[in-house]
Amino acid sequence: MRRLLIAAAFGLALPAAASAADCGEVTLTEMNWASSAVVSHVSKFLMEQGYGCKVKLIPSSTVPALASVAETGKPDIVTELWINGAPSYNELQAAGKIETLTDVLSDGGVEGWWIPTYLVKAHPELASIEGVLANPGLLENRFHNCPEGWGCLRTNTALSQAFDLKGNGFEIFQHGSGETMATSIAAAYESKKPWFGYYWAPTSVLGKYDMTSVDLGPYDEKIHACNSKPGCEEVGKSSYPVGPVKTIVTTEFSTKHPEISALMKNVSFTNAQMGALLSWQEEKKASAEEVAVHFLSTSPDVWKGWINEEAAGKLSALLK
Amino acid sequence: MAMYDGLFSVFGLKEWCDSNTTTGPMTMAELLAKSAGKADGAEVVTPFLETPFPSLDTLNKSCSAFPRTRDMTAWVEDGFLGIKDGLKYVLDPLTQPLSWALDGSLIFFEAIPWFVLIPALMAITYYTSRSISVMLLVMFSFLFMAFIDHYDRAIQTLSIIFVCTFICVLLGVPIGIAMSKNDRLQRITIPILDMLQTLPTFVYLIPLIFLFSVTESKLYGIAIILYAIVPVVRLTDLGIRLVDKDVIEAADAFGMTSRQKLLGVQIPLALPNIMAGVNQTIMMSLAMVVIASLVSAPGLGVLVLRGIRSLELGVGLVSGFCIVLLAVLLDRATKAALSRLNNTVEQ
Repeated sequence: MRRLLIAAAFGLALPAAASAADCGEVTLTEMNWASSAVVSHVSKFLMEQGYGCKVKLIPSSTVPALASVAETGKPDIVTELWINGAPSYNELQAAGKIETLTDVLSDGGVEGWWIPTYLVKAHPELASIEGVLANPGLLENRFHNCPEGWGCLRTNTALSQAFDLKGNGFEIFQHGSGETMATSIAAAYESKKPWFGYYWAPTSVLGKYDMTSVDLGPYDEKIHACNSKPGCEEVGKSSYPVGPVKTIVTTEFSTKHPEISALMKNVSFTNAQMGALLSWQEEKKASAEEVAVHFLSTSPDVWKGWINEEAAGKLSALLK
Repeated sequence: MAMYDGLFSVFGLKEWCDSNTTTGPMTMAELLAKSAGKADGAEVVTPFLETPFPSLDTLNKSCSAFPRTRDMTAWVEDGFLGIKDGLKYVLDPLTQPLSWALDGSLIFFEAIPWFVLIPALMAITYYTSRSISVMLLVMFSFLFMAFIDHYDRAIQTLSIIFVCTFICVLLGVPIGIAMSKNDRLQRITIPILDMLQTLPTFVYLIPLIFLFSVTESKLYGIAIILYAIVPVVRLTDLGIRLVDKDVIEAADAFGMTSRQKLLGVQIPLALPNIMAGVNQTIMMSLAMVVIASLVSAPGLGVLVLRGIRSLELGVGLVSGFCIVLLAVLLDRATKAALSRLNNTVEQ
């Protein structure tokens, strides 16, 4: 134990002292959901141990993080940014304030309307929206919609008009917060009750509970764009596109620290990798930091390709 | 290897320790140590000053059969899920009237047209407070909110507060009276009241979602009532205890039964305190409006949340101001009624 503490103290102090001048303090977002916390902690470790930065994690979420970047130029790096839910992304990008580095979740985020898999097994017709509309009784006549202020609320409201959920006997229930949405899925699952509503992946909720995405038909770019705009007059039927999930950096930071930008450009997970990490976390009831440690210690071959030679030298003990 | 190894060897528990292991995942400290290239075998003596507290997690390092803190919290979770069905069977029907009251009151308030409701509210204010200025405050506040299209939301909020305050008084006054009569009950109740005011709302709301459907309005009703019932209980208790001993003695001398004493002497004399409690209860239920909206309560709280989430600062500020406006006029109306009451008591 003691040995570990001393080692930890040295491990933290030495690289920071050696190359603090090169990198300095970096602010990095840690969004308030599971996958983002893992990405942030892994990046933090690599930056601190490999590049000698001092990383400060900023707890945040999509809209506030971008607003802060627009107004103050901080945090330096925003990771796991779901740009579908962040309209100001395009403005900032056009104004040259930010640089997009990579798709941090290379397969993209999956949004949609979900039903517990046990229910789909019992009633296979519920796998498509036609079957759902024909059997509102099987789903407690209820659609769980996003809370006020979330981007998905608009799209869901437009889609529910297009599919005429109300006319087919569904009551649209608008949640007050993301917490109650997640809990309602958990509560339904614990008592094997029906649940039908919007959610997204990768999240710890969908990692823990096996849900099936309802087939909403083909994706139509134009219809979806209108559906997600305020005051869309011609709502239509379109499934959700795969949402790009990006890492962005402020242009100012990127010019000063090209090596960190190069690192973050490489930090990217497939949905399979992230899903495996999240279910490991669920199984071990581990913290985000422990998941990061698990990833760093078990998959050096993955992150070996992310870092430059100098950093690889510093982290050589872990890479062998 | 770890600090408390000796402890387990002394008690001969070594075998038990090795029998079923629940070692945690590698920690950041261990990874950093590995990264720094320290050989695993090298033993370093722990300096006395850095002796770790023998917590569950520390003991687990010495004896891997020892449960960790996360195992303990997992047991709490499993325990709750285990008794969930029993709790639901009892609590669900018991709290159902609250849902009916909240839904019914919402329908009732929303059904009354504005040109009836605003004068009615003015009349009620005037009747209780006999104050023209408070009545005018109510009138202008509601006309203002109606003018900026916040009238519907304000009425929803008002309806929720109306029901919750009513139930708080209905439950809180008898509890307060019982507390004033029985010192032991008072000693038990006061820590509970303290807890209700400090326990973070979501800590009990999230488990409640497992018991009731998330769509039930009683969820936010319970959140508001548990928080707002405290002042009316405390001040009822205090008010009755503060009634002059001489007056009670006189009542005894007249041969009053304890029921007559309570209804004819103690409650009337404690009324200013009880009303001050009601006033505070109203204020506290208003303070819970935004939290209640996190569990789907309609009203001004929803607008505040929208303002925060999508950074529409104007929406947030204006709806926040409307909540303050409601608070001011409810406070003025009850305070005016209270001072009128004080005058009658003194006469």
